[in-house]
Amino acid sequence: MKQIITILLITILLLSCKNEKKSTDKFNVVTTTTMITDLLKNIGGDLINVQGLMGSGVDPHLYKASEGDVTKLTNADMIFYNGIHLEGKLVDVFEKMGHKNNKTIAIAEAINKNTLINSKLFQGNYDPHIWFNVDYWKDATRFVVKKLSEKLPAQKEIFKANGKNYIAKLRTLKAKIISIVETLPKEKRILVTAHDAFSYFGRAFEFEVVGLQGLSTATEAGVKDVQKLASFIIKKNIKAIFIESSVPKRTIEALQAAVNSKGHHVKIGGTLYSDALGNAETIEGTYIGMFEYNVNTIVNALK
Amino acid sequence: MSNAQIEIQLIASLVAIACAIPGTFLVLRKMAMISDAISHSILPGIVVGFFITQDLNSPLLILLAAFTGIITVVLVEYIQKTGLVKEDTAIGLVFPVLFSIGVILIAKNANDVHLDIDAVLLGELAFAPFDRLLISKTDIGPKSLWVISSILLIIIILLIVFFKELKISTFDAGLAASLGFSPVVLHYGLMTVASVTTVGAFDAVGAILVVALMIAPAAAAYLLTNDLKKMLILAIIFGVFSAISGYWLAHWLDASIAGSITTILGLLFLLVYLFAPNKGVIAVMYREKQQRIEVSLLTFLLHIKNHTEEVERHINHLQEDINWQKIHSKKVLDLAQKNNMIHIQNDIVTLSKKGENFTTKAINYIITNEDSQIENMKKDFFLFRG
Repeated sequence: MKQIITILLITILLLSCKNEKKSTDKFNVVTTTTMITDLLKNIGGDLINVQGLMGSGVDPHLYKASEGDVTKLTNADMIFYNGIHLEGKLVDVFEKMGHKNNKTIAIAEAINKNTLINSKLFQGNYDPHIWFNVDYWKDATRFVVKKLSEKLPAQKEIFKANGKNYIAKLRTLKAKIISIVETLPKEKRILVTAHDAFSYFGRAFEFEVVGLQGLSTATEAGVKDVQKLASFIIKKNIKAIFIESSVPKRTIEALQAAVNSKGHHVKIGGTLYSDALGNAETIEGTYIGMFEYNVNTIVNALK
Repeated sequence: MSNAQIEIQLIASLVAIACAIPGTFLVLRKMAMISDAISHSILPGIVVGFFITQDLNSPLLILLAAFTGIITVVLVEYIQKTGLVKEDTAIGLVFPVLFSIGVILIAKNANDVHLDIDAVLLGELAFAPFDRLLISKTDIGPKSLWVISSILLIIIILLIVFFKELKISTFDAGLAASLGFSPVVLHYGLMTVASVTTVGAFDAVGAILVVALMIAPAAAAYLLTNDLKKMLILAIIFGVFSAISGYWLAHWLDASIAGSITTILGLLFLLVYLFAPNKGVIAVMYREKQQRIEVSLLTFLLHIKNHTEEVERHINHLQEDINWQKIHSKKVLDLAQKNNMIHIQNDIVTLSKKGENFTTKAINYIITNEDSQIENMKKDFFLFRG
């Protein structure tokens, strides 16, 4: 038995002796989704060290924590998350942490609750995909500037300037989107995607939005949902349906097969970035790039 | 190491100990599957408890869940007693029913309850340090640490108080009954402890890891010792080892902690299963091979003893008459020579004095039907084993 204990102890020692990465002296900010990571990088610039928990293509509804997140969270001086149950169990954890200290901040707080889309079935459950309304994202920018300035009053002016700069960019973005969307006739503005992520987008740019799965990707689409949506696509003569980067594409492919089996042709219009941005190095890895890409993909496919 | 990291390892280790103790008895009673059943069927208890209290850490949850755990055991035994199906079938019938009731209850009320199936099955050890217990605004540590410590304390007290009773009723239920302590009471007591442990560990590590921590360390320890106390200690050591090294594996891979711990448990059991000195696969294979050759050797020696004629004792005869393959007969001859059992002259085999001695004794044992004694005799005679 002694040998066994010795062997096991040595193994533990070997496993655990790894040099800990030193956390930087900079102000550490931890973010959840890629959209929030991008926002914080734009406002904080070089003044803060932004670490995103979720990478590109990660579905925040189904996110599973890894060991590295523990260190990131413990070293965090501030944590920004989306809220409204977008991040599942993480939201609970952040809310509990928030009771203890004021480190955790939900971006959704920046937005007037009355303007959010309320669930038809369950009152009080709002649609968490707030980044698809550019105006909301402007509110979020101001909110982040305010919160960062409270923690780092010395850098207040820089945050303010960065925020102003970014809001100007968002304004240009919105104008650009409107000009692209206007090339598409109103009766063709029907967006069919894997899950209900684009409701705010639809409301802002007059699209009718239909998601195969509900607000959360944790729910499964039933056979009935697929058939109903297939009939809807044929009735409205929709040309294209869309895959989402963070949701498996098989549900949308099943929908396409269901439509095609009824003698109508529908194509897959491309991959949209819904709950996560694209790769960090690409243009789609930024909020603005992602939005332009999405709108171009949608409009080109539906034309 | 940061505080959070230490706390996670501490929680995981305590869960491992709390699971290893009832797990050892479950493995010995051949009821390992029941822990899987309990870990799933407590779900309706937890859900109902949550509906009543709206708090995932309420003691009522633990009580209700333990209660559904016992219902599982009662139902399994009831179905089993009908004699229509076997025990494992009965388990397979009962727990999916109870589990699915829990799943339906969650699905029906999913929007109010942050109790999704993923969290139920996998838990979230990574977040355990961030859910603190506050008493009059003083932080006294993570909640799950307190929950699991209390359960562990109760388990250890019960183990010390009822160790003798548990031991006897595990190995000889009849004797336990005649000594005056009811095996039924102990049985349900053990089931209650298993249920309570599962619930306590549930929020932190999830159902799958609980099952793994109950069964794998105990099963590995079972292969290494025949002593109950040693088995308990080994199971605890294996459990704690897996918890800590699993954590560091997760650290290296930046992966899920519960998943990594389960992986380590699986690997650990595999290693023990292969390399355990007596019961391991390799040891058993080696022993079987050794015995095959030694049986051949004995047959060969008896053959030589029975035949005085030279034809029968010629080396080539081994292949012809006894029908051994060439390689096999060479091995047997070599072994016999190495042990000084035979002399070979002009390809004729004769027994040495030692060989005569050995075979006479062996024949005696065979005639008196004491074949098992031959095995002991080998130790005295053989310098080299097969």
